[in-house]
Amino acid sequence: MEEKTEKRYGEGYLEERILIPRWRAPWPQIVNIILILAVFYISWWIFQDRRGWLRMYTPYLGYMYTRWILIVLIWMVYIFEFWPFRRRQLETWHPLWKGFIMTCVMTGVLLILIKVFFEGILGNFSMAYFNPARSMKLPGITEFFAVEYASLACLMFAAIASWLSPSWPVAMENAPWQNLKQPVLGWTVLIVTFFIGTIVYLCTMHPHMGILYYPWQRFASIAPPYWEKFANTVSGNFHVSWIMCCTITVWLYETIWERYPFKLIKHDTLRRLSAFFGIIAIAWCFFFFLHFAQELWWGPAIRGTRMDFSPDWRWLHVGETMVFFLIPALFLTFYCNNWPTKYSAPVNWLIRTLIAIFGGMAIYWIYYNIGHLTLGTQKGYAQPEQFPMIPTIWLINIMLINHWFMDNWPGWRKAKPEEVALIRKEKSPAVSVAKFAPAGIIVGIVIGIIIYFIAIWLFPILGKLKWVYT
Amino acid sequence: MDNEKKNEDKGMTRRDFAKSLVVGGAVGAIGMMGLYSYGPWRKKHFAKVEPKQIDIGECKSIKIINISETSWFDNKVLMGDIKGAGGLLVNQYEYNWPPFSDIKGKLGKGSYETGIKHIKQYLPNNLEKAWQFQMENAVHPENAGGYACLIDVELLDGSHKKILLDSGWAYNWMDECFKREGIDKMLMKKEIDFLVISHEHFDHFWGLPVTIKYYPDITIYVPEGFYPEGKQYLKDSGHRGKVITTKPGLTPIFPGCALFTFAIPIICRVYGEESLYFNVKDKGLVCVTGCCHQSIIQFATTGRNTIKFKKLYGVYGGLHISPFEDWDPKYDDLVIAFKNYDFEKVGCNHCTGIVTAKKFIEAGYPVVKGTARFRSKDTAYLGNGDIIEF
Repeated sequence: MEEKTEKRYGEGYLEERILIPRWRAPWPQIVNIILILAVFYISWWIFQDRRGWLRMYTPYLGYMYTRWILIVLIWMVYIFEFWPFRRRQLETWHPLWKGFIMTCVMTGVLLILIKVFFEGILGNFSMAYFNPARSMKLPGITEFFAVEYASLACLMFAAIASWLSPSWPVAMENAPWQNLKQPVLGWTVLIVTFFIGTIVYLCTMHPHMGILYYPWQRFASIAPPYWEKFANTVSGNFHVSWIMCCTITVWLYETIWERYPFKLIKHDTLRRLSAFFGIIAIAWCFFFFLHFAQELWWGPAIRGTRMDFSPDWRWLHVGETMVFFLIPALFLTFYCNNWPTKYSAPVNWLIRTLIAIFGGMAIYWIYYNIGHLTLGTQKGYAQPEQFPMIPTIWLINIMLINHWFMDNWPGWRKAKPEEVALIRKEKSPAVSVAKFAPAGIIVGIVIGIIIYFIAIWLFPILGKLKWVYT
Repeated sequence: MDNEKKNEDKGMTRRDFAKSLVVGGAVGAIGMMGLYSYGPWRKKHFAKVEPKQIDIGECKSIKIINISETSWFDNKVLMGDIKGAGGLLVNQYEYNWPPFSDIKGKLGKGSYETGIKHIKQYLPNNLEKAWQFQMENAVHPENAGGYACLIDVELLDGSHKKILLDSGWAYNWMDECFKREGIDKMLMKKEIDFLVISHEHFDHFWGLPVTIKYYPDITIYVPEGFYPEGKQYLKDSGHRGKVITTKPGLTPIFPGCALFTFAIPIICRVYGEESLYFNVKDKGLVCVTGCCHQSIIQFATTGRNTIKFKKLYGVYGGLHISPFEDWDPKYDDLVIAFKNYDFEKVGCNHCTGIVTAKKFIEAGYPVVKGTARFRSKDTAYLGNGDIIEF
């Protein structure tokens, strides 16, 4: 048995890991919040803050690294299942040591990816805009914007990867390679998702880069881009936005929704395909709705303006808003054992979703009211160089490191083998959700439609209140 | 036993009904989000905004002298500083740029307090000495230029009002430009009615002592949103006149002229900008801006919603599209949408960017070309010393 454990990598580690709070609630949650916020603020000061040390919030340089850290974390845990680390190491190393070692590995992978793959290979052999040194050879391109443009291209790629990388293990359940062992499975899924990601990049983001240069690169990209009429902008922020909605929906589906509703489909292939495309469909619903919410809140966008009336910002802000909702959702899953769990799955799902919505709104309000005082960002909405996704994803990265690499240390500890058996025995069976009352569903649909119209009636009224700097 | 079973069944039904209600609710709400939220029917939910058009009167004509549009001379140097200091959100007072440099000021390590103490005693009457200190200590003092223009408004009765819009950046450069265009004498004779500082940016505001030197009690309009350093600089520059802070919204100034203040965040930690509207008889509305961070489209739309006028006629100033000769596809949105506003005369320069001016010309817009004199770089737009009339 021990030998078997020794030879295993991290397959199933997260699912099998049982974490026990060290103290009664809410102390573990409070301790971890304090620790995470402290690490967030110190690391923000070191890497991002315009008043700090490295000042990478230029903004695109810091934005790009923030996004790619997220992807590399997903690769390490969801795609490679901690390979090349052994199960024994995951189980016996102290969380601090594990966190340190794995963060170092993450940093190494990150630098190889940015400097070797994007800058070195793509930037030298395919598209010059990935390499600042090459861009600078063009007339009129300063070093600052050469770096910014390259970072923008990389982070657009990251947006796609942040959706597809978790989508394959979560929605597609790694099919059709689910029976492969690590690291073959990891490499396979990585290559497949990267390949699909490259196609999506070429179709959605490359035309944005193609018109970034004067004159428009009509021979190298579609100019003006094909989405212009539909999105009322030529900016690729339109795509960044719906892709971010897909990313967040994948994580909502994986965490607080516990893979419902597609989990109910028994047929494997049907379930996987429904989950993959269903997530996209749900994400587009959120995408349109949050755009509409802004139109109701501030008034319709005006093409050609800057800031909060600009169509490109409105699209981007949809994605930014979605990330605010992800923070409470992850917190519920990581630190509250996906509370509540005592009701039927749909009711649990509803309560958690409401917590994520109201929690996200609270964080949104806090960010726009005190973010400029604490993070060194600009006050007000829609400063073109300000991206709330940088601090929100930075915070999520730290939460992921704490939860995935450090077993929620210090508020939690891993259960000992003798405790594991006991806890598994105590665990109640999952509540069935298979039985539905058709009348209930019909009434529910009507109620859902009514709630939708109440929300769109409410937004213009709320928008008139002076909530934040405008 | 039967009753128990019945109750259990009832309980199950209630539970199933609750579950179904939630599932149905999710389907209904999320479905509506997708089906309704981006269709044309959504537009009927938009609040009807009735334009409250205020009559600001009319003026006969306006003439604008471009004192300086070259805020910096070498874009690479400026962007190098911005990169070195940490990007576009770095507080402008921290750069150790002139005139707020500390002794041997290091890029990105300065502050207003450490800078002003070295020059305060020279303001506003010994600007040569103050600038000499900058030349010896500041980060790239030779790159500083500035933005300023003189707006000469002819009223309907034939009298004139003169407005100085902004006061540039480098003391030596602005003094040279003022002398070249005779602004120094106009200020000394108090022929200029007031100074409008469009916003707190270094290249529009930091040359303030040059204006104050010639006219210490000139009335100054500033937009709401100045940071404490900017407010202090108004005092430290030796200004003895009235400072009027304009609130967000429309502020009529005199017949045919109004200021509009936008509460907007701007790069380098600046907040708020004011721009000018002139309603020219028989022609229409002329929009005059410093940097127009709110965007010319927003400025024109706001004009339409707030002022009574015949048509949109002209534009002058920085349009803040590609100030660093950078580009972003969203700027193409502006270039494409600009035609819907049907301006008859476009006098752009400064932060409009040469690339934008060229795109405007290619799109067929009526851009007034310049002469590229006095260190202005391209004839695609109005340069230093050029004049435009509306």
